[in-house]
Amino acid sequence: MSKCDLIRDRLSEYAVGGLRGRMRARVEAHVGECAGCRAELKALERTGALLDSLETQDAPEGTWEAVRERVLARPRERARVRPRWAWAMSTVALVVVVAVAAVVMVPRPVERPVVVAAAAADEEMQMTMDDHLSTVWAAPLSDMAAVGLRMAALEENG
Amino acid sequence: MSEERDKVKELVARARAGEVDAFEALYRAHQGGIYTFLRGQVRDAEVAADLTQDTFVRAWESLARLREAGAFRGWLYQIARNLVLDEAKSGRVRLEVPASVVSSEENPSVLERATEGDGPEERLASAELKEEVWRALESLPAAQREAVVMHHVEGMGTAEIAKVMGVRPGTVMSRLARAREALREKLGGYVEVSDE
Ligand SMILES: [Zn+2]
Repeated sequence: MSKCDLIRDRLSEYAVGGLRGRMRARVEAHVGECAGCRAELKALERTGALLDSLETQDAPEGTWEAVRERVLARPRERARVRPRWAWAMSTVALVVVVAVAAVVMVPRPVERPVVVAAAAADEEMQMTMDDHLSTVWAAPLSDMAAVGLRMAALEENG
Repeated sequence: MSEERDKVKELVARARAGEVDAFEALYRAHQGGIYTFLRGQVRDAEVAADLTQDTFVRAWESLARLREAGAFRGWLYQIARNLVLDEAKSGRVRLEVPASVVSSEENPSVLERATEGDGPEERLASAELKEEVWRALESLPAAQREAVVMHHVEGMGTAEIAKVMGVRPGTVMSRLARAREALREKLGGYVEVSDE
């Protein structure tokens, strides 16, 4: 596989802002010196610009009136629909779960670090998602995927 | 940043309390995105219109279950998406279409014309070309199609899309990349740059 083939395999990921670190730097360096791959990247970017130019289309006339009619005719779910016995049942279920967990975990403490690591990974994931979300709300018209990743990279480096 | 979000939160709170007018404002703000998303998925204007109605009726009914008012948009897309999956399960719509049915090679007229003459700006503005891009989109697998519409047309970020689709942001990113590559192929000469 030639160098160009290797780069082209990752070019669409690069174009959507999905590459980071060393791979991203490699693509950038190669595109800087190879006219063929540079042209291919431009084609991918123009495809993105074309997609960005698409607009939403309004729902047909009368849709709101139909929604309104249906909404007014229907009863509504309430915030609290569970009867008391359901709460009682879930308390019982919780006690059972805790009891089982205690039995399972006590003789095998080796498993705990795994659980902790998974929780930490989840937390990190959540933080990344929060970053993305705040970027989305802050700049609704930009290319969110790219901006989100760039922000994450900046935070990592500085 | 938060002005728009605060507005949505306030409208959601009022709609929750039963104010239909507040819900109408939410409808006005989101109907275009939802209808376009549904149309992209089911590829049928009438079914998309029905499902748009259903999406908002279901949203009204279950507004009490929306935990975070600021996440209204993503939650709405999730409802629309589930309705599409139900329709597909019941056989009323088909999400995947054989490539031959929507092949743009059979009708390359606009794409061929676009490569001659016009400058890039005129070409981007061409309504006919946009039509062609939509047609190219239709040939993508449903999971790529929905990611593309949410991201490029509705302007949602990968994290928000990931929540709607119930996958990791990295999965959304790779769907966007695969879609970009396939569309670049389909749009061929139009997106290729010769001036270098
Ligand atoms: Zn190259």
